[in-house]
Order: sequence, then C-alpha cells, then structure tokens
Amino acid sequence: MTPGAREPILEVRDLVKHFPLTQGIILRRQVGAVRAVDGVSFTLYPGETLGIVGESGCGKSTVAKLLMNLERPTAGAVLYKGEDISKLSGRALKAVRRNIQMVFQDPYTSLNPRMTVGDIIGEPFDIHPDVAPKGDRRRRVRELLDVVGLNPEYINRYPHQFSGGQRQRIGIARGLALNPEIIVADEPVSALDVSVQAQVINLMEKLQDEFGLAYMVIAHDLSIVRHISDRVGVMYLGKIVEIGSDTAIYEHPTHPYTQALLSAVPVPDPQAREGRERIILTGDVPSPANPPSGCRFRTRCWKAQERCERQEPPLAVPPVLADRTGEVLHDSACHFAEEKRRVAHG
Amino acid sequence: MTDDRLLEVRDLEVEFTTRDGVVRALNGVSYGVDAGETLAVLGESGSGKSVTAQAIMGILDMPPGRITGGEILFQGRDLLGLGAEERRKIRGPKMAMIFQDALSSLNPVLSVGFQLGEMFRVHRGASRKEAKERAVELMERVRIPAARQRVNDYPHEFSGGMRQRIMIAMALALEPDLIIADEPTTALDVTVQAQVMDLLADLQREYRMGLILITHDLGVVADTADRIAVMYAGRIVENAPVKELYAAPAHPYTKGLLDSIPRLDQKGGQLYAISGLPPNLLHVPDGCPFHPRCPRARDRCRTDLPPLYAVSERAAGGAADATAEAAEAAAADAAHDDIARVPEVGERSSACHYWKETVDDARRA
Repeated sequence: MTPGAREPILEVRDLVKHFPLTQGIILRRQVGAVRAVDGVSFTLYPGETLGIVGESGCGKSTVAKLLMNLERPTAGAVLYKGEDISKLSGRALKAVRRNIQMVFQDPYTSLNPRMTVGDIIGEPFDIHPDVAPKGDRRRRVRELLDVVGLNPEYINRYPHQFSGGQRQRIGIARGLALNPEIIVADEPVSALDVSVQAQVINLMEKLQDEFGLAYMVIAHDLSIVRHISDRVGVMYLGKIVEIGSDTAIYEHPTHPYTQALLSAVPVPDPQAREGRERIILTGDVPSPANPPSGCRFRTRCWKAQERCERQEPPLAVPPVLADRTGEVLHDSACHFAEEKRRVAHG
Repeated sequence: MTDDRLLEVRDLEVEFTTRDGVVRALNGVSYGVDAGETLAVLGESGSGKSVTAQAIMGILDMPPGRITGGEILFQGRDLLGLGAEERRKIRGPKMAMIFQDALSSLNPVLSVGFQLGEMFRVHRGASRKEAKERAVELMERVRIPAARQRVNDYPHEFSGGMRQRIMIAMALALEPDLIIADEPTTALDVTVQAQVMDLLADLQREYRMGLILITHDLGVVADTADRIAVMYAGRIVENAPVKELYAAPAHPYTKGLLDSIPRLDQKGGQLYAISGLPPNLLHVPDGCPFHPRCPRARDRCRTDLPPLYAVSERAAGGAADATAEAAEAAAADAAHDDIARVPEVGERSSACHYWKETVDDARRA
C-alpha cells in the first residue's frame, strides 16, 4: 500500500523528549538532559506499516511511549486525525487512546501473572465499557482468543501456563480488544524463538488485512522490519536519519549509517560470506546526554568532513541526488549522501 | 576421527531432577570439534545446547543436574573421569567460555583489570602488579581503546560491546585450545555484533583455537561457522558442513528453520512457520520428537525414534557422478534399511527416517 492522497491517520511533528539530569539531594539542580528524542517527524497512513529501526538507546522506544501518550513530549506535536493528542487529558485522552493500542516486547513481564487470560484481555472493556456491554464480554474475549489462534477454552488459564509465542498472542489479543486503528508494537518478536517468530509475524499480517490496522513496528532486527513494513525509518541518537519506502531504504540506501547497518546484518547464506562487502563501524554510539555537534553520526562516519561538524544536515532529499529519479529520491540526512546499491544475495 | 580432533562428545546424557519429575535434557548428544575449526550449535531455547556446553566446561549445576551417560574426550582424555581439581586446571588454560550476558557474568564490585588479572594470579601465580600489566595487554588485544586508563574501571562503566570484549579477553587470557561461546552477541546491536564476531574470528585464526559457537541466529552461523550441529529436544538432529546444510538441509526441522527467517533480499508473502511449539521435556513425544510439528511425518515417525543416519551424496541421488542404479542400490542400503550404517562423529548425518526425500526436495527447489 502506498500513501496516496489519503489523509494520514497519525502525524508526528518535530517531536522532542528530553529527560532531565539532576544533581544534589535537597536542591535538585538540572545539570543537563538526555536528549532521547530530538526532533522526529513522520506520518502514518491508514492500513500501512511503518517500521522504525535503530540500535539500542537511539530513542525508538521513547517515540513509542510518546505516541501512546505515556510520556509527555518536551516539544512538538502528535496529531491523531489532525488533533494534537499530546495536549489532551481526561476524557478526551481516554477516547483517543482507545484507537491507539500497544503490543509490548516482553510477553513474560507485560502480562499480570495473577490475572487469568480472560481478565487480561477483558480489562480494556472495564475502562471503555461502551465497546462491549457487560454481559457480552466473555463472548468477545473468546472471539479474540480465536482470532489470534488460541483455543477459546483457555480463557480461565493464567499466563504462566502458556509459552512465549502464545503469551505474545495474548498481548496482541489485548491490543485488539477495543478495535483500534493503530497498533504500536515495540519489538513484538525479539523475545521469541526463531520458529515461533514467523508464526507471530504471520498473525500480525493476517490481522492487518482483516481489520485494516495501521502498524508502527519498532525493532532492531532489520530483516523482520523489511518483511512487514511498507515504509521504514532509520533512527540514530534521537533523530531519524533516513526514511522512505522499504525498497528505497533496503535497495537504495543513501545515508552512511543505514548502509553500515545493512551491511552488518548477517546473511543466512554461507555462499555470500566471501563476496560481500561489510562496513564495520568503529566505536560506540555517543551518549545522548552530550551528542556531537552538527551531524550526530560524524564521530563514527568514514565520510565525515569539517562541514559535518559545523552544520547539521536536514532530513530531506539530498541536493546531490536531485538529478536522479526513482527510489533513490527519499529523505536522507547527510551532506554527502550517495547511493549504494545492495548486492543481491542468493 | 582425525588427528586434529580437539574435543569429542559421545552419547552424552544429562538429566535434571525437578519437582515435576525427571527432565531428560540431553539424550545422547555427539559432536566433535577440530583445532582451528568453528562448530555452530544451533537450537531453540530448551533444546539442550547450553547444557551440553556446561557439561563440557564442568560447570553444570549438580544437583539438580546429573550426567547419566556418555563421554567427553578432550585431547584424548575423558573429562568425566577426572576429579574436580583436575577439571579446574583444564578450565582456563585449556578451555574457556564466553557467556551471553556480560553484565551479569562480570563481578560488579571488582574492577575489570582485577578480574582479568585473576586468571594469571590463580593459574600462573603472577603477582598483582604483573597481573594488572597482563590485563592491560589483553584489553589492548581485544581493541579496547585507552586500555591503560580504563583497566581500573568497573563493568558498569563500559558499554555492552566493550563488556563483551572483556569477556572475550578473559576467555583468551591463557590462550586456551578450545573456546565455547554461548550466544556471544545476542544481547548486542547489529553493528556491534559485527565488530565482536570479527574480533572473535581474527583471534581464533591467530591462535588456531577450536570454537563452539552456540546460537539461534542462522545469519551469524552462515557468516562464521565451518560445521553445524542442529539440536532439538536434547538430541542432535542434523550434523553437516555449513554450505551443505544451507544448500540442502537433510532434516525437516532444519529446513523449517531456514524457511522461516525473513531475509533482507526476499520480501513479501507469508513466512513459512513451523507449526506448533517446541516439546516440553517432561513429556517428549514418542518416536521422533519432532513428529507433531513435521510436515513429512508418517506412521513410522510416531513410533520409531530415528537414529542419526549417515547422509551421503550418493544415496541422496544428488551427486553428478552417480549413476541411477548406483544411487538406487545405495539408497536401498542406507536409507530404508534398518541396519543403516552408524555415522562417525562429525560426519554429515540426519536423524530423520526420510532424510533422503528431504534432501532431494531441497535440491529440487
């Protein structure tokens, strides 16, 4: 699905989240800030999947929390159908939250061990009683269990009686309970075994087709993100450095960080071992409390020049590539953007 | 068995006594590693890959664990016959282990320099000063920048990738012949994972060490391993050189794993998913433990436990030089006869009654 002239369902504009760093016990002085998210903008269209990839600490989970309004942004706006939800509270916020639901990473800690599966999946109905009338709830929960491929007879079991993959299905059923339009999934399969990951991914795709959901999937596994996403954004140290369609990002990456990230992914084909070119980055991600000036990637970039230190590259179609056509033309925050086609393997 | 054979595990059996009954974690595991070779042990959680490693290192918790059978031959000696003190002398100078989670494997109240130096103080009788000096050298070896300034830092002051390097440095300290790396990069980001795997491969080449790489990441395996042992429910189900396994898996479980990974270079459509769940080790199914999830299962699989069959190119009808009759004869010999040849440890083998069909299908596809 390509975003055409349709209205975006969710629009994020210059989102900023700084966590204060304080010193002193009685008189808490702010001595700095962890700039977890520092100016992130993107849009999400109905029925599409936007993948966000990045290394740990780049702020991708904070973005998820901001979308859910679990954290209030320092600046910027989250527009749901044109309305800024980051300013809402009380009843209005509750109404919006019904339409944006979340699936968490760790199915072992995100389900209350003392509640039965029926209570876990039915809990959203306590908060939003208008969705399912009281007498109808058990039936709805059974339906939901069936939708996510679990036996409806399991309604009275507890989370510990299920395996990891089944628990993640329970988490997904809970997310679906209120018929949301958007599901934010933070690392939905990274805690699962390989053979079970595929089952959960297939389930998510099936549900998207069935209910027309828009997904925002956050993950560090690039091959999974590619498999499910229509568009992909790459984050580095609180900023999106490159965003575009999945083909644009995976076949025609122009930002050096994306190129390094892609080349580092191990390819499950021993024949490709010799032939492929790998860019191995040196060093670690700098601290988000004290990010480098100019381009944030310059400390690990092999192309970095003096200009990168002075001037921060904007996230736009790079002027150097303006004469090109096709997938190369997508937003990339680099002064020296250059297409690097991936050599197709196997 | 080659002269280079460093470690050979034969029919290893391990049980755990739990409140719910006896869990048979390993049911006759056999594999071998040569000097300078990388063996990848692939399997899901609960398949027994880490238990095997712990048994080899001699760090299995006993009780509740118990080694009930088999032998572990290391440089020709059976480790299971040795006493605790002799085992301790092997652990460190001869074989070492790299753990998955570096933060919980390092002691948080001791500086990394002290922990690295401990190897030299305990095993080599070095003084504190000498040991610290050696620790700095080791940190430089694993490319930790500003090693001399950071030698007195504590584990929490290092990043994840740097901590994993310290774990590698510690394993390398006494230049062992064998290193067991249990999911060394699972907790790391891809860019850092590439750095760490690269470093490990370089050092292995330099010291000509045997490496057992325990992982569930099929990408990492393809990048680094020479041979693969695939484990399922406490057994080896397939044993093969890496290229042959990826080209034509001989066990339906391996095939399912390979088909279920989304790949960067292939998109769209449904992912193949192995149906069902890994078995509970308290109630392993009769016959082949994989049969409830296997698309190829027949009646025989529900009753007969398949042994490891030797997989030969000729019997599989894949080799170009084999004539049709020869292939047929060999197939009759090897696959469907119950007196199939027992494969040598390390030879290409598969624990599936119908491995021949599996290989042929994979080749055709």
